[in-house]
Amino acid sequence: MNRIAMYLVLLVGFSLSAFSQQLPSAHNEVVIKNAIVMTVTHGNISNGSIYIKDGKIAGVGKDVHAPASATVVDAGGKYLTPGLIDSHSHIALDEDVNEATSPITPQMMMIDAFDYQDKAIYRVLAGGVTTSLLLHGSANMIGGQAVVIKHKYGLNRDAMLFPAAPQSIKFASGENPKRVYGSRDQLPSTRMGNFEVQREALVAAQDYMREWDDYNAKVKKGEKDATPPKHDLKLDALADVLRGKLLVQIHCYRADELLTEMAMAKEFGYKLRAFHHALEAYKVADQLAAAGIGIATFSDWWGYKQEAWDAIPWNAVMCMRKGVRVAIKSDSDDFARRLNQEAGKTIRYGGATEDEALQMITMNAAWIIGVDDRVGSIEVGKDADLVIWDGYPLSSYGVPNKVFIDGDVYFDRSLPGFGMPHYREGE
Amino acid sequence: MRNVLRGSSLVVGLLFLTTPVLAQQKAVALRGGKLLTVSHGVIEHGVLIMENGKITALGAEGSTAIPKDARIIDVKGMTIYPGLIDSESNLGLTEISAEEMTNDLVEMSEEIMPHMHVYDAFHAESELIPVTRLNGITNAIVAPDSKDTLPGQDSFVQLAGKSADEMLLIRDIAMPLNFTGDQRRNVPRDKRKYPSTRMGMAAQLRQAFLDAQDYAQHWADYEKKKSETDTKTDEKDKKPPTQPKRDLKLEALLPYLQGKKSVVLAAEEASDLETAVNLAREFNLKFVLNHISYSQPVLDYVATLKVPVIVGPIYEAPKPYERYDAVYALPAQLNKRGVKIAFASFDAHNARNLPYQAGFATAFGLPYDEALKAITLNAAEIWGVGDKLGSLDIGKTANVIVANGDPLDVKTDVKQVFIAGQEIPMTSRQTRLRDQYSGQ
Repeated sequence: MNRIAMYLVLLVGFSLSAFSQQLPSAHNEVVIKNAIVMTVTHGNISNGSIYIKDGKIAGVGKDVHAPASATVVDAGGKYLTPGLIDSHSHIALDEDVNEATSPITPQMMMIDAFDYQDKAIYRVLAGGVTTSLLLHGSANMIGGQAVVIKHKYGLNRDAMLFPAAPQSIKFASGENPKRVYGSRDQLPSTRMGNFEVQREALVAAQDYMREWDDYNAKVKKGEKDATPPKHDLKLDALADVLRGKLLVQIHCYRADELLTEMAMAKEFGYKLRAFHHALEAYKVADQLAAAGIGIATFSDWWGYKQEAWDAIPWNAVMCMRKGVRVAIKSDSDDFARRLNQEAGKTIRYGGATEDEALQMITMNAAWIIGVDDRVGSIEVGKDADLVIWDGYPLSSYGVPNKVFIDGDVYFDRSLPGFGMPHYREGE
Repeated sequence: MRNVLRGSSLVVGLLFLTTPVLAQQKAVALRGGKLLTVSHGVIEHGVLIMENGKITALGAEGSTAIPKDARIIDVKGMTIYPGLIDSESNLGLTEISAEEMTNDLVEMSEEIMPHMHVYDAFHAESELIPVTRLNGITNAIVAPDSKDTLPGQDSFVQLAGKSADEMLLIRDIAMPLNFTGDQRRNVPRDKRKYPSTRMGMAAQLRQAFLDAQDYAQHWADYEKKKSETDTKTDEKDKKPPTQPKRDLKLEALLPYLQGKKSVVLAAEEASDLETAVNLAREFNLKFVLNHISYSQPVLDYVATLKVPVIVGPIYEAPKPYERYDAVYALPAQLNKRGVKIAFASFDAHNARNLPYQAGFATAFGLPYDEALKAITLNAAEIWGVGDKLGSLDIGKTANVIVANGDPLDVKTDVKQVFIAGQEIPMTSRQTRLRDQYSGQ
């Protein structure tokens, strides 16, 4: 695991240097004025301004104190929100989302498949999304470790990684693993098999940890002839689950399976960050709230398979009212381009307030990814990831006019061609 | 099931019990709402009267007489609009997508299947139908899935009724002819069979239409000989000609070869579009266009065809070399060129989201009124029911929606749906689950 941590540190270091090279220095200080600022955490500010310094929000309010040299962007009275956050995406992975050759593959690193040139990153950026959690598919009970990106299309690969984002791991359950392996006459082909495979893997990780503990104890005691256990990437990753070092994200539909996953987490002593899809969460919302587990769900998708048959569009708001942290996610190259509309539907289905609806695609999604201290709302100190909207964002008519990431414009609808200042076709 | 009534609000429960009686005998007056007539503008504070399943009067409040015995429903603050029409769906042909036994979407054994009739599979009791109509969609084209070049014949349905018979308003209303490339039998490679190319698809279609022409000729010859024989007076000349065998497949193509019905010509890219149009012209087929999501370079040519376009879905991803909004803007681009457009869900479970597609298209330049027309009056006109549906006008079927705002906006909640004047219970499998788990 140390190897992986090192890898990330290296990447982050590299990405920061790459980023600073590509960021035009003229944009170091920017003031966006004349906007209806939807802060998410402390209401709306009409005719508000935002002062951006070195890619961070340095001031928010009716008036901000900024040097005269700052670049001024007049929002023309339009709505301004934080950049949207998609807590469940499979874009930019060139369909390499499932290493479906074994049901337990926690050592698969999404970063190794990340296709930073995928135009889907751009199309989603044009929909106002600035941060996405790129997850494995759900063929495997434990699919692998995710990557968090910022949609800085046009920059190099490492400059697109969200610096020092916590590492998430994707678990799955239900129909997909049993279909994938069952169709090959392999284990698992039932939900019993699914959970057995998962439990077996976690038991192996416990044994592995014990071997290392024994070895480390011997070394500490000064036993010269102690032989280290063999390093095993797969068990290293599972050990990190048990040590609480990874955010556990579980693809799970049915209420009974949500409860089984919770019981298993309790049995092995690890925490769950969020259930994804969670279309039956409304049936067990009290238990989810009590356990502090979030959900990343669809607004109204249903019926595409048996375990999506009890899906209802009120799921998000019913769970939220019970105290569950709810995000609306895309799980789709298409929905990711209009998450704002999907969130708007929660106003209709269950009566979410404007702030609540917006939280589901900003703060709550950021929390699920573990970056809520950095993005997801308009507050001083946070990354200047911002969207100026044509039309009201939580409606059929909301379309991003400009998208800022770390204070720099990455999409501008008014520009010809692709509308991207940092990208030109063929260069 | 016991939650149907327990879970519903008292009002809905009462409506459920009393509706059939009221709708039959008494006029219903919706008073005080904002009427989006579609055909003649907006009436801010309007009255709309429904009687015997039809709209019998509408106009400004105060100047529109309400029959004495009418049941008056106060809809102040509400927006009233005609039932929405989905110009292509798979409603009634699928229940749970991944569960094959619940799907009757398309026959894949052959590509030329014009003798498949949607009405033979249409599942009137599908749980998807109440879910869809609760969003204000009252009518839909039901089409087979597009994996065949000629997958069968569409029906035009009303999304309420006691049986399939009541709901199937027009059987075999039109026939899809799909030429998008998805109809090739080329995947996987080792299972490749004819037609595995667009050339193969075109040749196969051409042969099918030629066969149908021959078939029509055989029957015409037979009928001619038969009538000649019948007129003969001499008994020994009365030897009847041999009757040709009926061929359901070829028979199904005849109304289209005769120009009595329209083919729904589906293509995506410009090259496919032109091939498909040429094919249709070769056989004098009447047609409307479908999809054309990637035909942006030839929209002027499309306009010269003077046919309507069922557009989109506009959520199709643009090609990598296209701007993000290349498909979003297609409805506006067509409208600008004077092409009549209609939207379709091309879906079943998500058919309820039809109005949002129209709304979204306005953010890319389609005028609002045109967007609303594209899911109401345009659709009705394209499907030949413009005299009965698609607008709030006297004499039209009372498919009327009451909502708390703009029909095209995701925030808007549909409060009541009337289909043929009937107050539809605002319940579905989904509302029942909601109520069951809301502890109501």
